[in-house]
Amino acid sequence: MGWIDIAWSMIGATSLTLGLIYLLVWIRQPTQRSYLLFFMTAASVAAFSMFELRMMRAPTPDEYVATLRWAHVPLFFMFVSVVGFVRYHFDSRRMWLGYAACGLRGVALVLNFRASANLNFEKVTTMLPLPLWGHESIYLPVGVASPLALVGQLSNLLLICFVADVSFAVWRHGDAKARHRAAVVGGSVVVAFLAAAILAGLLNTGLVRIPTVVSVAFLAVVIAMAYELGWDVISAARLNARLRVSEERLRESEQRLQMAAGAGELGLWEWDVAADEVWTTREGRALFGYGAEERVGLRRFLQSIHPDDQARVEHDVKASLDEGARDFEQDFRIVLPEGRLRWVRSRGRIERDERGVAVRMRGVTHDVTARRQAEERFRTLVEAAPSAMFLVDVEGTISLVNAHAETMLGYAREELLGRSIELLIPERVRSSHRAHRQAYRQEWLPRAMGAGRELFAIRKDGTELPVEVGLNPMQTFEGRFVLASVVDVSQRKQAELEAARQRDQLAHLARVTMLGELSGSLAHELNQPLSAILSNAQAAQRFLARDPPELDRVVEILADIVKSDKRAGEVITRLRSLLRKEEAQHQPLDMNEVVEEVLALMRSDFLNRGVRVLTDFAEPLPVVSGDRVQLQQVLLNLLMNGCDAAVASKAQPVIMVRSESASGRDVRVSLADNGMGIPPENLERIFEPFVTTKPQGLGLGLAICRSIVRSHDGRLWATNNPGGGATLHVELPVKMLHS
Amino acid sequence: MQTPIVYIVDDDPEVLAATHRLLTSAGTSVAAFPSARHFLESYDYRGSGCLVLDLAMPGLSGLELQRALMEREAPLSIVFLTGRGDIRACAEAMKGGAIDFLGKPVDEGDLLTAVKQALAQAETMRQERSARASAESALAELTARERQVLTQVVAGRLNKQIAADLGTVEKTIKFHRGNLMKKLGVRSVAQLVRLVQRAGAPVAAPES
Repeated sequence: MGWIDIAWSMIGATSLTLGLIYLLVWIRQPTQRSYLLFFMTAASVAAFSMFELRMMRAPTPDEYVATLRWAHVPLFFMFVSVVGFVRYHFDSRRMWLGYAACGLRGVALVLNFRASANLNFEKVTTMLPLPLWGHESIYLPVGVASPLALVGQLSNLLLICFVADVSFAVWRHGDAKARHRAAVVGGSVVVAFLAAAILAGLLNTGLVRIPTVVSVAFLAVVIAMAYELGWDVISAARLNARLRVSEERLRESEQRLQMAAGAGELGLWEWDVAADEVWTTREGRALFGYGAEERVGLRRFLQSIHPDDQARVEHDVKASLDEGARDFEQDFRIVLPEGRLRWVRSRGRIERDERGVAVRMRGVTHDVTARRQAEERFRTLVEAAPSAMFLVDVEGTISLVNAHAETMLGYAREELLGRSIELLIPERVRSSHRAHRQAYRQEWLPRAMGAGRELFAIRKDGTELPVEVGLNPMQTFEGRFVLASVVDVSQRKQAELEAARQRDQLAHLARVTMLGELSGSLAHELNQPLSAILSNAQAAQRFLARDPPELDRVVEILADIVKSDKRAGEVITRLRSLLRKEEAQHQPLDMNEVVEEVLALMRSDFLNRGVRVLTDFAEPLPVVSGDRVQLQQVLLNLLMNGCDAAVASKAQPVIMVRSESASGRDVRVSLADNGMGIPPENLERIFEPFVTTKPQGLGLGLAICRSIVRSHDGRLWATNNPGGGATLHVELPVKMLHS
Repeated sequence: MQTPIVYIVDDDPEVLAATHRLLTSAGTSVAAFPSARHFLESYDYRGSGCLVLDLAMPGLSGLELQRALMEREAPLSIVFLTGRGDIRACAEAMKGGAIDFLGKPVDEGDLLTAVKQALAQAETMRQERSARASAESALAELTARERQVLTQVVAGRLNKQIAADLGTVEKTIKFHRGNLMKKLGVRSVAQLVRLVQRAGAPVAAPES
């Protein structure tokens, strides 16, 4: 036995060993066909190497020819397995190349056995001994080359093209790892088969005298393929290890989930649809009141539900089985074995097979009884509230209303839920309401809505009603809400209007009475201009009667008559305005002017009664808003009282009228007399109706004055002066320019 | 005889001007004042005439002015004008010697009649006053004895009775009587009595 025998045996043994290793691997993992294909390749190479050894040792042409003929059989299998391996391992776009290579190799195999000698030779004439290094010698064939060998060479070429094409494609499109694989496997196959083809060509033509050593090249292919597969095995092992770790983790997280679910009273469940079997955690069983070992299916599940909720839940469960259905989610009541009710919320997701058929539903159920009770309580509370209630989210969508709201606005509950609250706001303020609502999101504090403004809601029939609205922000787990309570104030407004009307009537009555008392003074005020007119007119007649008539004087007189007439007219106008019976009309007023007018009306009264009037006006005064006539009435009344008081006690009655605006927010008019003053216990009582100190008085004057001042948002009160006498104060708010 | 003057006092400038015109048109000379104070500043308490006076005025009122003038015995007759019929004020005014108390608006007839009356009364008043002044000055010429005799004579006593009262003889009385009659420029007892009355001296009723 020489070293040739040893080397070639080792080639065969190595190939076979590698092949057998992967055969074992393949037996374990039959789906991995590349292992089987590798085994085929390796076995073919091992067989081929044995034939090749025999060819080198063949002493006769006949033996050589026969051996070579049979050597084509493992070569064919090697072709097929290599093509299969490459196809299986890499994607090929041009499989036809591979099939063509195999096909042609098959044809070559058939031709090989039909030929006179074999595929390569027509005839081998003699075997030439070739001495080698180490006293070895082998035989080389000498004969006539067969043209059929071209078929074999062509199949070699096709295989090389196929592998090169696949490798090149992988090289171009793959990542670094894929490139490496393409280079190792593709490169070795191409190089080995190229070498084999060249060697065979050279040998056949007899140009060189070298032994066939194709097995060495094929061994390189086997080693390259084994290396490639080795990587696969290693990465599979790594993956396996990783899988084991993540499985461990999965188990841990499942345990944790179970613990969390248990702690949160969450029941996890899984319903096998086909088997109609429900698996659930211990907590889930407790929630539903199932026995620990009890078998649970859909029927048992539905039985545990309150009869009122059963149909709804059953419908939803069945609907969620349909293809494309949404996840199951329902709140429902469970009747526990002891008869107690429990509200739960259940959520489930369907899992489907590749055909879209529902296989199982997994989900979770938790106890929402406490929340439901709280909601129920909240709902009851809202329903029982004495006003209309609206629960509105930050977008202004109504999510809850009570019966009051329905009757107040004429909508049915369903017509309001889900609609925007702006539906109930009059058109003219709708956009500003939206802005207010946005602003309120920043503020987020309970308060009354629309400070100082009159608010209106709009009914379904389009009519408006005056309302008052209180806002209460609520933070819930479903987000932020505002609970708005709306009160219909139309009756109150009506009552207020009625009260105002009565006050105006009473004020009018008091005014007429008061003017009756003042009539002497007023007659005097009228008499003065009338008197002047009469005297002027009679003087004019006389001047005209003279000869010649004194026309200059008459012109003068006529001008004076016009003046006096106008004056009389003014008195009458003032009188009429005080006597007129109208609703209060508020307008911007300068209180100094109002006081002056009243003093003018009372001028002759003061004269007759010998009352001195002193004034001290702050000028300019801020403007107040009020009804001129009613405020004049108040001042007239207070002045007449002051006059009475001053005249009754002192030789020289004096009234001091002062106006001031200390803060700039109010205007105060004070009327001080030097009479006897007011007993301290009566300082407030004098404003009560029917309290009077005058024998002929009704005792309504000051009561009416106070109601008038109050209707102007002002104050009326009395104080005693340090030096004797009383002062009455009228304080009115200054009219704000921006309102 | 001086021209009679009508004074007007009224605080209302329109009424003052109109009254002033009316009286001017009737041919009287008029002096107008916007207040009692103004009037008193220019009046000397001796000028005789008519005062047309507004009742209600700030400061000094009409009645107060009347009182002040009466105290000083001003030879003025007052016609009151008023915007309102106040009976108390009217009574007080008339008691104070007012000629009339007229309501506003006043008709020219009423006003002019009243003014004429007032002027006439003022003239009489003026004449009486001057007569009295002369009688008073004449009486002041008499001696004490003559005055005693005068008093008795005016009382209607006889010479004999007077002599007995004064503790003298009838002849002495006759002498005094002749002297005083000459001094006073009277010729009869009747004339003597009138003169004494004019001077405002008390005349005792004759003893029965």
